[in-house]
Amino acid sequence: MIRRLFIANRGEIALRIIRTARRMGMVSILGASEADRDSVPAKMADEVAIIGPASSAQSYLSVEAVIAAAKAAKADAIHPGYGFLSENAAFAVATADAGIIFVGPDISSLHAMGDKLMARKVGIEAGLPVVPGGAAADKEAARARAEETGYPLLLKAVSGGGGRGMKRVDAQQELDSQIDLAMAEAQAAFGDSRVYVERFIACGRHVEVQVLGDGISAIHLGTRDCSIQRRFQKLVEEAPAPAMPDDKRAAIELAAVNLTRHLNYSGAGTVEFLVDAETFDFYFLEMNARIQVEHPVTEAITGVDLIEQQLLIAGGAALSLTQDMIQPLGHAIEVRINAENWQADFRPSPGTVTRAAWPAGPGIRIDTHMTSGGEVTPFYDSLIGKLIVSGATREEAVKRLGSALEQLSIEGVDTTRDLHRAIAVDERFIAGGVDTRFFEGLAA
Amino acid sequence: MTINLVDVTMRDGNQSLWGATGLNTAHMLQAAALTERVGFRAVDFTSSSHMAVAVRYFQNNPWERIRRMRAAMPTTPLQFITTGLRFIAWQQADPDFMRLVYRRLQANGIRRFVMLDPMHEVPAVIEAARIIKQEGEAEVMAALTFTLSDVHDDVFYAGFAKALMASPDIDLFYIKDPSGLMSVDRVRTLAPAIKAVIGNRSLEVHAHNTLGFGALSSLEAAKLGISAIHVGVGPGGDGSSLPEAERMVANLIEAGHDVAIDRAALSQLSDYWQRLARAEGLPPGTPQGFDASFLRHQIAGGVMTTIKRQLEELGLGHRLADVIAETEQVRAELGYPIMVTPFPQMVMSQALFNVIGDRRYAQVSDQVIRYVLGKFGKPTNPVDPAVLSTILDRPHAKALIAEKDFPSMADLRKTFGATINDEEFLLRAVMPGDQVDAMLSAGRSRASYTPEVAPLIALLKQLAARPAARDIVVERPGLRIALHSGASL
Repeated sequence: MIRRLFIANRGEIALRIIRTARRMGMVSILGASEADRDSVPAKMADEVAIIGPASSAQSYLSVEAVIAAAKAAKADAIHPGYGFLSENAAFAVATADAGIIFVGPDISSLHAMGDKLMARKVGIEAGLPVVPGGAAADKEAARARAEETGYPLLLKAVSGGGGRGMKRVDAQQELDSQIDLAMAEAQAAFGDSRVYVERFIACGRHVEVQVLGDGISAIHLGTRDCSIQRRFQKLVEEAPAPAMPDDKRAAIELAAVNLTRHLNYSGAGTVEFLVDAETFDFYFLEMNARIQVEHPVTEAITGVDLIEQQLLIAGGAALSLTQDMIQPLGHAIEVRINAENWQADFRPSPGTVTRAAWPAGPGIRIDTHMTSGGEVTPFYDSLIGKLIVSGATREEAVKRLGSALEQLSIEGVDTTRDLHRAIAVDERFIAGGVDTRFFEGLAA
Repeated sequence: MTINLVDVTMRDGNQSLWGATGLNTAHMLQAAALTERVGFRAVDFTSSSHMAVAVRYFQNNPWERIRRMRAAMPTTPLQFITTGLRFIAWQQADPDFMRLVYRRLQANGIRRFVMLDPMHEVPAVIEAARIIKQEGEAEVMAALTFTLSDVHDDVFYAGFAKALMASPDIDLFYIKDPSGLMSVDRVRTLAPAIKAVIGNRSLEVHAHNTLGFGALSSLEAAKLGISAIHVGVGPGGDGSSLPEAERMVANLIEAGHDVAIDRAALSQLSDYWQRLARAEGLPPGTPQGFDASFLRHQIAGGVMTTIKRQLEELGLGHRLADVIAETEQVRAELGYPIMVTPFPQMVMSQALFNVIGDRRYAQVSDQVIRYVLGKFGKPTNPVDPAVLSTILDRPHAKALIAEKDFPSMADLRKTFGATINDEEFLLRAVMPGDQVDAMLSAGRSRASYTPEVAPLIALLKQLAARPAARDIVVERPGLRIALHSGASL
């Protein structure tokens, strides 16, 4: 049983984890950088351990610094949140070596899903359909792969994630230059220049399935649709995936559970699929072996606290939920409020938040670490909060999203609020079931 | 030896102290993870009447409540208490209907059932236990419901337990003393008498602390080889509830026992319930003074207060002693029903009619007629023949004999449609449709509750309900905020 939980993260997710840990009677210890010493999570945690300077390379991304702080704090478990070290197998190994529980899946699952090639291989083994494509170690191999897949295609870093280093190539003549760029970026960001060449489904939707496993049994908590993205960064997420035939939805959910079982997966995970927006054929992309930014929409429709489930399973409990007990209700939508000037190419907008007025009321949930007087530092990502609305129907949720955004007011820094206001009144969004080209259409 | 604890705060504590309407789903979900951490043997969690209260009073879906509690509590079994073949309605239900009830309860996470038949009818208990086991893997605990009467002696209880031992579906037993009548002397003979016939199946003790006996008889029982003691946590213990948990743990340790719980977590849980009780205005259970007359009449405080008030309203306050004496007489004539719901109300109302009416049993409630007709099960002792014929010799008794039983499963399905999901169907079959509608339209229950914020939310709701108010003053020691509406831009 976990008594002292070390949180190796920052921002809204750190606060989110602290809340559940407290309810479960755990002592929360926040591992914070110097820059986050006075953050809201630092004030809310039972204890704070400074893990290093502002630079994430020396703090939130430093395996040694985090492990040393967790050991010094006598933590018996580490929750890595999302991003940073959350899917870093070496970190999970170091945690286990220090005699501390890693709140996440087994190291074998992290390895299996750690890079896209391995994930694809494991997906095929588990019987999941995958997009035509393959890895390429150099430019020559990439050209050969492109011959197989056809255009348009995507180049992705084999070791990458979160959309970084991803390139779309529409025609053969662009291929060489884009490969050079993609490989260079992959090398710089992930220390691995290999790229993955994949057929690009022009009219595709990003649909993912939340799963839970305890190493023996596995269940799903329904779908999420994250098709509204900009440069592969998610902007809006909703649950369940709208405008999708029931049989196709059930097939995707079943595929996700099959993969989870195949991996003897333990903890919370997300299985991502590319869904053809017209035929609803689906292709397995990858599995994220961690909590997701968009987990609250699933919590809203299922009533399951996913952080609690992670902590229970990590503490050694068997999964008490059965598939029959998951009875989704209503519809939920999350929008990410980033401190960015969305009209100036989403340029980050660090500074002091002079006023933070978040909406409240029935069907509204706010996950944020930002209050009036808070600092948006230039060191980390620009997410300052998430607005999650839910309603008995999607229509009700969309309506609530519009009115909640009207109430939301952040002063002192630029935010993406007005972008979301534009999305909330977009006819395609209101109709539901948009594909990943939505954002281009919005800008036009 | 090691003693386990069973926490009754959310079901019996809530019922004994707060009329079963004290706690909603959010209150319970907020306590779930801490309750799990304490390491109770089980949690006395709900019953069909608590499920009805959830719907009627809070618009909380009771099935969802079970599911979400279970999700947060992977190790501690959630317990459901039942009289066997009834669900919310007073009539005995179609066995197929009960089978579906037990299936859905277990599918949602109930892992322990208490079979409480106040009539101690062996076949009824065995049959219900059999259905439960066919529908899942929950354990089944049979209640030996304690009372003081001419028939309920040690031999009676041992005989009942022995008869139930014939069923492989009864996993364990407990002495259930709902009125807190069991003395230390009595537990010294009763517990060994039961243990002698139940082999290696466990025996627990559930002794209400109404007279202060519960804490002492439970401690005595710990010496006699019982496996678990039922307790209420913080404000959910003592009074007419079960002994308070932290005090019980301290006393058990003092007596040299090991207690299989996390005391730090128990202290945190106790603190949560205290803050909640304060915020919600729920009176905490308090240790009660000994009342010798209670051993004779066994009339619980709530019922006594009601009868006293009714007599006073009739200008007959001075007849209270007569009514109490008549209650003892009526109880004997009706075959010593055990004074658990609904029988105390039934017996005492009859005593009141007998005292204020022209003749005894001139006026008889429908419930008493149904009782003597065996519609609540077979009375433990035969009903006095003269009383029986007096009660049945009236036209209304004929009407109640002809009264329709609980509808068959097939008829209910026909009424409510074949496609409606099982959980909604079970509620609609036994509850007014508008209450079920209101529950469904209220959506999912809240998942969290913060006692410190609750009064503020209540205040804001009250303010929001009065849009026309022109003056609002908030006053507390050292603070006064006055808002007055006037001209505005």
